[in-house]
Amino acid sequence: MKRKLLSCVLAASMVMSMAACGSSGETSAPAEPEAAEEVQEETTEEAGETTEEVAEEAEEAQEETEVSASDLEPVTLKMYFHGSNVTDDSAVLEKVNEYLTEKLNCTLEPIWGTWGDFDTNAVLALQGGDDVDIYFTCSWSADEYNKFARDGYWVRLDDPDNNLIEQYGKDLWNLLPEVLTNGAKVSGADGVGTYAVPGYKDIATQNCWDVNVDRLTELGYTVDDVKAMDYYSMGDMLQAAKDKYGKDFYPLLVEGAVLERMVDNVTIVTGDSGTGNFMSYYINPDDVSAEGAYGNKIVNKFATDEFKKFAEKTREYYEAGYIDPAMGNAQQANDTRSQKQLSGEYLIGTQSYSLGYELQASQERGIEVAMVPCTDPYVDTTSSQGAMMAISTASQNPERAMMFLNLLNTDPYLMTLLNYGVEDVHYTKDADGLVTFTDKRAEYQPWTNGVGNVTILPPTADQGADFWDGFKAYYGAAKEIPILGYAYDSSEMETQMGAVANVVAEYMLPLCTGTVDPDEKLPEFLDKLEANGINDVLDDANAQLDAFMSAK
Amino acid sequence: MDVTVMQDAIPVNKKRRMNKVSIPVEILFHLIMIAFCLLCIVPFVFVVVISFTAQESIRSIGYSFTPLAYSLDAYNYILKLGTQLWRSYFNSFFITAVGTFFSMLVTIMYSYALFRTDFKFRGFFNFFCFFTMLFGGGLAPTYVMCKTVLGLSDSYAAIIIPMLLNPFNIIVMRTFFITSIPRELIDAAFIDGSGEYSTLFRIIIPISKPGIATVSLLTALAYWNEWFIPMLYVRDAKFIPLQYLLMQMQTKVDFLVKNSGVIGAEASSIMSSLPADSLKMALVVLIVVPIAFAYPFFQKYIISGLTIGSVKG
Amino acid sequence: MGLETAENKGTKKEKRQLLTSKNSKTLLLTTMVLPGAIWFFLLRYVPMAGIVLAFKNYKVYTKKPTFWNNLIHSKWVGFKNFEFLFKTTDSRIYIRNTLVYNICWIILGLVVSVAFAIILNELTKKFLAKFYQTLMFFPYFLSWVVASYFVLAFLDPTRGLIDNYLISHGKDAIDWYNQAGYWPVILTLCNVWKNTGYSTILYLAAITGIDPTLYEAAEIDGAGKWQQIKNITLPAIRPMISILLIMNVGKIFNSDFGLFFTVPMNSGSLFSTTQVIDTYIYRVMTATNNIGMSTAGSIMQNLVGFVFIVVANRIVRKIDEDSSLF
Repeated sequence: MKRKLLSCVLAASMVMSMAACGSSGETSAPAEPEAAEEVQEETTEEAGETTEEVAEEAEEAQEETEVSASDLEPVTLKMYFHGSNVTDDSAVLEKVNEYLTEKLNCTLEPIWGTWGDFDTNAVLALQGGDDVDIYFTCSWSADEYNKFARDGYWVRLDDPDNNLIEQYGKDLWNLLPEVLTNGAKVSGADGVGTYAVPGYKDIATQNCWDVNVDRLTELGYTVDDVKAMDYYSMGDMLQAAKDKYGKDFYPLLVEGAVLERMVDNVTIVTGDSGTGNFMSYYINPDDVSAEGAYGNKIVNKFATDEFKKFAEKTREYYEAGYIDPAMGNAQQANDTRSQKQLSGEYLIGTQSYSLGYELQASQERGIEVAMVPCTDPYVDTTSSQGAMMAISTASQNPERAMMFLNLLNTDPYLMTLLNYGVEDVHYTKDADGLVTFTDKRAEYQPWTNGVGNVTILPPTADQGADFWDGFKAYYGAAKEIPILGYAYDSSEMETQMGAVANVVAEYMLPLCTGTVDPDEKLPEFLDKLEANGINDVLDDANAQLDAFMSAK
Repeated sequence: MDVTVMQDAIPVNKKRRMNKVSIPVEILFHLIMIAFCLLCIVPFVFVVVISFTAQESIRSIGYSFTPLAYSLDAYNYILKLGTQLWRSYFNSFFITAVGTFFSMLVTIMYSYALFRTDFKFRGFFNFFCFFTMLFGGGLAPTYVMCKTVLGLSDSYAAIIIPMLLNPFNIIVMRTFFITSIPRELIDAAFIDGSGEYSTLFRIIIPISKPGIATVSLLTALAYWNEWFIPMLYVRDAKFIPLQYLLMQMQTKVDFLVKNSGVIGAEASSIMSSLPADSLKMALVVLIVVPIAFAYPFFQKYIISGLTIGSVKG
Repeated sequence: MGLETAENKGTKKEKRQLLTSKNSKTLLLTTMVLPGAIWFFLLRYVPMAGIVLAFKNYKVYTKKPTFWNNLIHSKWVGFKNFEFLFKTTDSRIYIRNTLVYNICWIILGLVVSVAFAIILNELTKKFLAKFYQTLMFFPYFLSWVVASYFVLAFLDPTRGLIDNYLISHGKDAIDWYNQAGYWPVILTLCNVWKNTGYSTILYLAAITGIDPTLYEAAEIDGAGKWQQIKNITLPAIRPMISILLIMNVGKIFNSDFGLFFTVPMNSGSLFSTTQVIDTYIYRVMTATNNIGMSTAGSIMQNLVGFVFIVVANRIVRKIDEDSSLF
């Protein structure tokens, strides 16, 4: 009996010791419940490990001081990435840290957030004050740049008292296009300023018709015909496709929200991403940098005549069988859409474009894909804040973090290493300096655009030697829309935003895909929006916009 | 107080014969059960079929019980995951086994004390446990407590400890004790000079097998199916359990679906490179099969309770 | 209680012995609850400090941004974070849906799982009973995401099994994901399908714990099967029934998010019958991502549950003291 009691106590202490192991930051060895010796063993083992590590660290520190002439303290920077697919970063980190130690006397500890876990984990880490130095942030992730800047999570980089950009980030700032640095200036906890380093990636928005040229040719149309059409005059072509390919073929492959923006020439207004983007700024399709149909004003998307016309036409197309009914419910729409794209089961679809996508899509789908743009490419707040790196106010070393960001975004060696991996391991370069990835790349795939300035990367073989020149030309030519930099601050209107979000989720997608009758549902929808305070939100947003425009 | 003797004393077969329902009723019962079980198993068969379905077939006719073409691609792909797959498999087993053991130990001790009406602080600790079912601090403070204060991260303990106890299980366990253990038994053991721990481990636990097996099963299931806790506290692929491997794929898709409008073209190309649906289903099969096979093991003890019910005398 | 009576009967010497043993008993029993109590304290009670988030506008305390510092230095905002739950035209719908579904499912779940447990217990072919029970548990392993694919296979508007059947028999296809009227039935079926196995096993385990001699005695007294169930089985599992009932009632303002969000494919047209409090809060959170509001939401859920649970417990205690939860 005593033995049993003892084993219980031991087991209990085991639980505790496991907790203790965790807290010392060590990886505890798998605990075996019965064995008492194990507890001892483990403790000694751990103690051993710790001393060993301390010794190692000391050694390292010594080495570092020898190597680096700079009088910087050695530090480790933790950096949170988004969208990565990394299972083995050891080879890369070894090289990165060797290089960083030499350059900045620091080492990097990346946290490879994935598409699936970043939103939950990064926000928790921020709210919990974890000791992470640099976070990925942008206009669409859960640690949304504008809101988190307002709430004090990001260090202001151009703080007049301690201007990190002036001191450590000049090279980087000189390199970035003005639309990006302008787009990053927001009103945050420490006043209007820059709270993150914008990544130089595809910074413009351009919505396009995604045309399946193979089927188009079969029907006797050309891409030029499509260019000459608009949404309202597509009916004949869609009917022809329906006649030719049968009842189960749905020629119009739409993403409801994108379709509406394309047809009505509407842009996303940053700040309402969770509410189905009910706020609309109408741009001028002929000159995106000029004022649109409603002036510099944010309007309720659903109350406009344009929307009514659009919804009615879409309903007509839906009833004629041009649109797959699956597009009407959010969960199913995207699955169905990517499946139909991949099998070429469509005639014309919607796509928000990035440079070179038609080649990539043609390759993936095994058909010829053409992109017919609805407007010129333009830069809005959402796209200019598409990928950024912010320094957390919980960081112990904001200066070093800024130095690191500066180096990362200006040094092709470091950027390539961190982004593409180690040369001859994760990729190879041919005689022209074009990159081809090896099989090892599968183990190390950060999200390219989420790492930083992609324009200093070597082009890949698929992209071709002059890709980055074309890239800079294309995006450099993109015009700013008049309200670039504006982001709606909904902190006074959160109750209304929540209520509106639910109403929009109920009606928008079915209306934008024609699965419900607009004559019946649209008035109901508008009544409900009004009852839930959409006008208060819009008034607030427009007041902010006026203030922003007059300050601009 | 020898329970096994008692058990042998009950003429099981005779009782069964005496006490059974009439044949038409029994047939009706079987029909009801068969119908319901079909309903339960068909979706799983469906999952198995999808896991063997060729991707082209899913693309052209969607999920179907009778796909156009079959393929082993999903399983081949999984085998190519290689070490990570086996590692995760091992982690799932290890976490489930160790987690269930500790969880049950703590749960049984806690609920046994609550079951004892003569325990002075019974009311307090009862409420102490029960109250946590009603109110919680929410995700962020719990995260801070586990990660920052207790330092639970990147270890097995970081997965096991945050879900060690479930007040529901404690209350169910306590109720099992109430329904199946006569008070006289405790008093008798006490008079025999048995200590508290020895009463619990030598007398109570052996005769509470059905209850313990049931709660263990629920606990094991909870550990086996958990993916959220690993997502929060584990960054190192070394510790990732199988269920999280599956959920990673799912949450990725969900995120991209939600944000495809703003991530734009890139989202589409990422989506198209994501694992096929058949792969997800193959992982579901891999996850369900072991625990389904483990189920009869627990069940043996649940059913065996039939013969141990009586301890009077 | 038993001990106290023993105490009164004993002599002084015995009494002292009993007293010391009583102390040591209390001590030993306390050591039994201690590991659990410590866990509850650290992982459940300390984080409860976070409840104040519901009354604060959580901002970072930039001087030393740890969670607790942020919490302390954030501004109090009273009940502002709760407003979103009520200042909406949807609140009537989601409150109605949450409560009605829960009440129906608690009753339905109870009846079905107790009936199934009794049936399984009565079957003479034990291996078949085991077999059924194993199969019954399968849905519990499948996540709602997987289950939603399965439901989709039946209900898909263009290639679903049901609509194909309807069309081939000359009837009109039904647009399931846009017709809210069908969903109370579909959701109920899904709920029964998924959870019956789980609660059946709890009741079955309780039934198997019943002393078989009771049945023998009843048999000898000439009681029929139905009477045995009524007079022996049901009373014996009454504590289990009432405990599970009380606990389910405590969750009356909570809902299974996966069931209401994923299975209807998040289809907007179905909100009138699929919108429940958890989906409502989720959709609000995608819009605002305000930690104070989400805390307020769960506090609201807990409070309602708390009221219901206290009432339910009181009722149960009136009927049968032993079966009550506290």
